[in-house]
Amino acid sequence: MEPRKDENALVDVLDVLLRDGAVIRADVVIAVADVPLVGLKLSAAIAGMETMTEYGLFETWDTSRRNAAIARRQYTESGSPRRIRSSRVPLEDGRGSNRANHDD
Amino acid sequence: MTHEPTSLENEQVGKEAGDRARPSGAKRRTSQPGATSKTDFDAGRYLYCLVDVEEDRDLETVGIESEPVRLITNDGIGAVVHDCESVYDSDDHTEIHRWLVRHQSVTDEAAAVFGTPLPFQFATIIRGGDDVVCEWLENERDHIEDTLRSLADHWEYRIEIVRTDPIGEEALEASDDHLTELRADIEAAGPGKRYLLESKYEDRLEQLRAARNQALVTDVLTRLDAHAREVHPVDSPPGGALEGRRSRDNAGTSIGRLTILARADDEEAIGSVLDDVVDNPGLEVTFTGPWAPYSFTPAFGEETGEESDGD
Repeated sequence: MEPRKDENALVDVLDVLLRDGAVIRADVVIAVADVPLVGLKLSAAIAGMETMTEYGLFETWDTSRRNAAIARRQYTESGSPRRIRSSRVPLEDGRGSNRANHDD
Repeated sequence: MTHEPTSLENEQVGKEAGDRARPSGAKRRTSQPGATSKTDFDAGRYLYCLVDVEEDRDLETVGIESEPVRLITNDGIGAVVHDCESVYDSDDHTEIHRWLVRHQSVTDEAAAVFGTPLPFQFATIIRGGDDVVCEWLENERDHIEDTLRSLADHWEYRIEIVRTDPIGEEALEASDDHLTELRADIEAAGPGKRYLLESKYEDRLEQLRAARNQALVTDVLTRLDAHAREVHPVDSPPGGALEGRRSRDNAGTSIGRLTILARADDEEAIGSVLDDVVDNPGLEVTFTGPWAPYSFTPAFGEETGEESDGD
């Protein structure tokens, strides 16, 4: 059997990219601590899994994994998962909100 | 040579970085009311990955939101970046999906040029310009070089084992006295008791199936371990082994997921182990890779409380 990297394979890896990969915990990095990141619920949605209740998705999360996830800034210290913010963070001069380039 | 720095080493590196890294122009974190939000910044560098720049190679490609991607090099270490001025956050799942796909592609392109990269998590942005990136690379040099050296020629592979046909009742009864007894009791019972016994029977069936699936996954993990540097189960959402979980393409029940750190040379041996698995009727395997080793990267910085282990 040979490993593949097709569309289906990508779904799994995008989830990994979202939640894993090297992290930098220092003042020099923007996305640290208080900046909300997309949560596991979103990654589940992207992966096309069935929607689970927010509580159901997290309730039997293993303690050790939860601690690791906190360390990886996926959870706040109070135990709630990070939320998607409702709007794009604007630049100081408002340029960010005008970003309309979608041809990736 | 250790490939994964200890928590103590992380702490020491982090402390050094904290002491030296006060980049010019960067906004200092403060707890005073009315302080600048951490998400406001004039210039930033979106980090895709770090690479070992041995020869005179370069990378120019297109990244998230069509931003030009380039390399910032500091004495043999390269940071694959694009210049950005805002964080990447959205309500739109399609948009986030597109960003992730593009990020992943850039990482793959870097891998094709430089070999195994040290990949960052999505949306890691350094506050500041090229000078700040260079300074950070210098501060973390030892840690970065150790990690790149350790990960060289290794890739992440991901495996999912799917049960497409549940193990049959007859097969399970043949090996389980308890089940056989329940079957006999059911046949002898009146309607009321029969219902209760059948429920117990179903529970016992599921228990046995879960145990067999667990044993299978453990066996596969052990066999793969002989050919890989690391093999780790991947966490599943709740539902657990008893209920199982639909596989990604709904072909059956996912009974186990694994992530592996291995060399490309070991792909064949790994594939061979997986071929043995699918020789069993009712089982399918998904084998993907090679990917940049997202699950096997360290944490950098001052607050590394836990060692970042591969999942």
